[in-house]
Amino acid sequence: MNVNLTINKKQQLLNLKGNETLLEVLRDQLSLTGTKTACQETECGTCTVIINGKAVLSCITLAASVEGDEITTIEGLAQGDVLHPVQQAFIDCGSVQCGFCIPGMIMSTVALLEKNPTPTQEEVEYALDGNICRCAGYPKIFEAVHEAGKKMKK
Amino acid sequence: MPLTSKSKYADAYVDPVGKSVPRIEGRGIVTGQLKYVFDVQMSNMLVGKMLRSPHAHARIISIDTSKAEALPGVKAIVTAKDTYQIKFGSNEYFFPHTVDQMALEADKVRYIGDEVAAVAAVDEDIADEALRLIDVKYEVLPAVFEIEEAIKPGAPAIHEAMNNIALILPVNFNNPERMMKEADLVREDKFWCPVAHPSPMEPHVCVGQWETFTNKVTLWSSSQAPFKCREALAKTLKMDLNDVRVIKMAVGGGFGGKLEMLPMDFAACLLSKKAGGLPVKICLTREEEFTTTRRKHGMIYRVKTGVKKDGTILAMMGDVFADGGAYCSYGPTVLAAAMMRIFMVYKIQHFKMTGYRVYTNNPISGAMRGFGGVQSGFAIESHMDLIAKDLGMDPVEFRLKNITTPNMVTVNKMILTTNGMKECIEKATLASGWAQKRGKMKHLKRGIGIGIAADVMGSKMYKSHESAGAIVKVEEDGSVYFFTGAADTGQGSNTALSQIAAQELGVSFSRIKCKSGDTEITPFDTGSFASRVTFISGNAALLGGRDAKIQILEIVAKDNNLDINDIDIKAEKVIFKKDGRSLMTFDKALELCYSFKYGKQIIGRGSYNPKTTPVDFRSGEGNVSGSYGFEAQIAEVEVNTDSGEVKVLELWDAHDIGKAINPQSCEAQIEGSLAMGIGYTFYEDLRFKNGRVLNPNFAGYRVPRSIGMPKMNSIMVETNDPEGPFGAKGMGEAALLPTAAAIANAVEDAIGVRIKELPITPDKIIKALKEKNLASA
Repeated sequence: MNVNLTINKKQQLLNLKGNETLLEVLRDQLSLTGTKTACQETECGTCTVIINGKAVLSCITLAASVEGDEITTIEGLAQGDVLHPVQQAFIDCGSVQCGFCIPGMIMSTVALLEKNPTPTQEEVEYALDGNICRCAGYPKIFEAVHEAGKKMKK
Repeated sequence: MPLTSKSKYADAYVDPVGKSVPRIEGRGIVTGQLKYVFDVQMSNMLVGKMLRSPHAHARIISIDTSKAEALPGVKAIVTAKDTYQIKFGSNEYFFPHTVDQMALEADKVRYIGDEVAAVAAVDEDIADEALRLIDVKYEVLPAVFEIEEAIKPGAPAIHEAMNNIALILPVNFNNPERMMKEADLVREDKFWCPVAHPSPMEPHVCVGQWETFTNKVTLWSSSQAPFKCREALAKTLKMDLNDVRVIKMAVGGGFGGKLEMLPMDFAACLLSKKAGGLPVKICLTREEEFTTTRRKHGMIYRVKTGVKKDGTILAMMGDVFADGGAYCSYGPTVLAAAMMRIFMVYKIQHFKMTGYRVYTNNPISGAMRGFGGVQSGFAIESHMDLIAKDLGMDPVEFRLKNITTPNMVTVNKMILTTNGMKECIEKATLASGWAQKRGKMKHLKRGIGIGIAADVMGSKMYKSHESAGAIVKVEEDGSVYFFTGAADTGQGSNTALSQIAAQELGVSFSRIKCKSGDTEITPFDTGSFASRVTFISGNAALLGGRDAKIQILEIVAKDNNLDINDIDIKAEKVIFKKDGRSLMTFDKALELCYSFKYGKQIIGRGSYNPKTTPVDFRSGEGNVSGSYGFEAQIAEVEVNTDSGEVKVLELWDAHDIGKAINPQSCEAQIEGSLAMGIGYTFYEDLRFKNGRVLNPNFAGYRVPRSIGMPKMNSIMVETNDPEGPFGAKGMGEAALLPTAAAIANAVEDAIGVRIKELPITPDKIIKALKEKNLASA
């Protein structure tokens, strides 16, 4: 079946069997390997992308089911050389270690801050609880979220 | 002094040591551009899969691959028949008899998940179907899963070892039996330290590619130790070391689990050979990650200590039984470390402890962050609090009486030079408000507890040497290529080592381009383990930077008729040492080196081997590390006595890290360790039933998540170790060691119950409270 996906504001015409997940399409067909997965069963948050403004797990999203939706991946956040405030804050606050969870973590953060740039600490913890980071103790990730929120509010 | 040139490198990253420069890979990570082996895509790349034993213990009668081979799309299948059946293991140097695993087992399988065959096919579905079509006939054997059962005479024999004890390791010094008689108080405790799993976010993944015309092989591997992986591959594939190339890309976490070659690495290479040189990628599922990669040893830790009334420790005795699972892996040295770490922490002259590493038909235990120290940290630091309680002493006071000091030699001949233990304890107690809180918050069901620890910076337990090398290549355009064999697995070693090289060379960090962990082009390095990289690889980086600098200064001195001893390079300039006056910019000096007149290439090299002695495992003696790190940790908790829930309110970690090369990265290491320590204290518990892992996923095996993390305070204690690069020590593991005990000690302070078996669950708290109430009724 032909499926037309809108990924990072670009149209992608794909020929699919129909049972492919969005994660598989992104990584295997479009080589958008910034989106990772660490479990493929909804438990780690590493595959998070944004669909119509919401953080969504691409490992359980059928690619064919999101035709016509606005899909944003980690590759679609920066404007040319200029990083998204969330991306910049993750660097500045030293929030990245091995980095494998970070694309998903950033997508969850962007989805949160787009709606609410001044979340409480509790709201941050709740929004990111689905994203596992095995390296960090989370304080530097929380710091980046609050920092980015301040910049996005301006 | 203002810079006179307009060099693009005259930036904030001049004099980088001690600054929180951002991670070299930062932009790559946050944009999703950084490539992990997980992301590797090659044309005609095949999907590889491992066929694993469904039985915990069985004899392999036959393997029929004919149906699978006939399946269209299957390109290669390998079994033990295609291999040299050479065993590999990780303690070959000291314990050759513990080298006991084959990449593909030939006669027997010893745990559920043991590898018996591997397939490569054009896609995942066909590879899975091929696995189903391989017909393995097994004769199921009686199996054994518990330590106590495995060591009984007559228990099923998993290997040749008598009573399934792979190794008995005695550590004996002086006469503890006699000293116990002289003690005013003798206390004995028994602890259970459960099985944790490293479970890095990037699962084990590799791509193997055979060069059919030259018979060389390349493995791209998510490895903490590419040079060790190369060694094991060359051995098992019966190849020359340099016909095997291991390339480490970005690694999505390791935590000890990616320290060894696994059968999948071997299989990817051999499958590629059989498939005519097509690349073969093998990526473990999360379930395979949890069930077939190395896990932390579960340990029964029994310890008895004799003390004088004034709190002086006279002697310690004990034994440790470790559930090793099916193969030895790093078991022998993990066991040794679990018993011998105490000599870094406490002054003990009379000691006798015996370790037993026991085979069971459970998955394989091996290295995991802490390397035996998380288990001993929980046992010893809980035990110390219990002794202090028996003596009626404050646990801080008791520890201060017995800790090691600077410039001392321990009973097992470890040479401690700088030692910030006392300062760590003092700073942590002050910051946490210990004196105002200890024993004074019971009405709030709050408590505060301490744990202390020490760690090596590398360990000469593995090989005759554990050197690291560095190459610092200064290019004509002013950029600096820094080559290190060290494997950055996310801790930030590429960044920290580049800072060290740049500082010593006298240039901005911005000039550095770091290339790491490729066995063919970077210098040898044993890998990322034992908190060794900043210290050992860092010293190599420093020497490499210095060598390059001297080469530049030679040209400058010659051209200006100066004595090379009178000039130096600092902060992007060649200066006179005497008064700091600038002679020329670094760029000008380089112009001179690469001028028509001199045409001198600047290639600095560094090699560092720590001044240590190997451990003599007959006695336990040996100065395993060139420097030692220390720390004190304090936890404040609140217990809900109705639900049994323990909430950690705040943690303080004061850490002797020598010198913080990158303070932000140091904090990140501490915070990550604390989180992992919280996980081990409360829920990280890989459970087995009849050899099967009951919770092989993130739903069943909980790891720390964002909700419920306490406030964490990192306090850096800088002792400036004369042997460390710019005074630095390693610090990747120590902060994880005492966390569980600090929390357990805080729980006792809060509600008066003692948990000796991790994890601390609400059930255990409620049960302990009931028992306490019964006892007092």
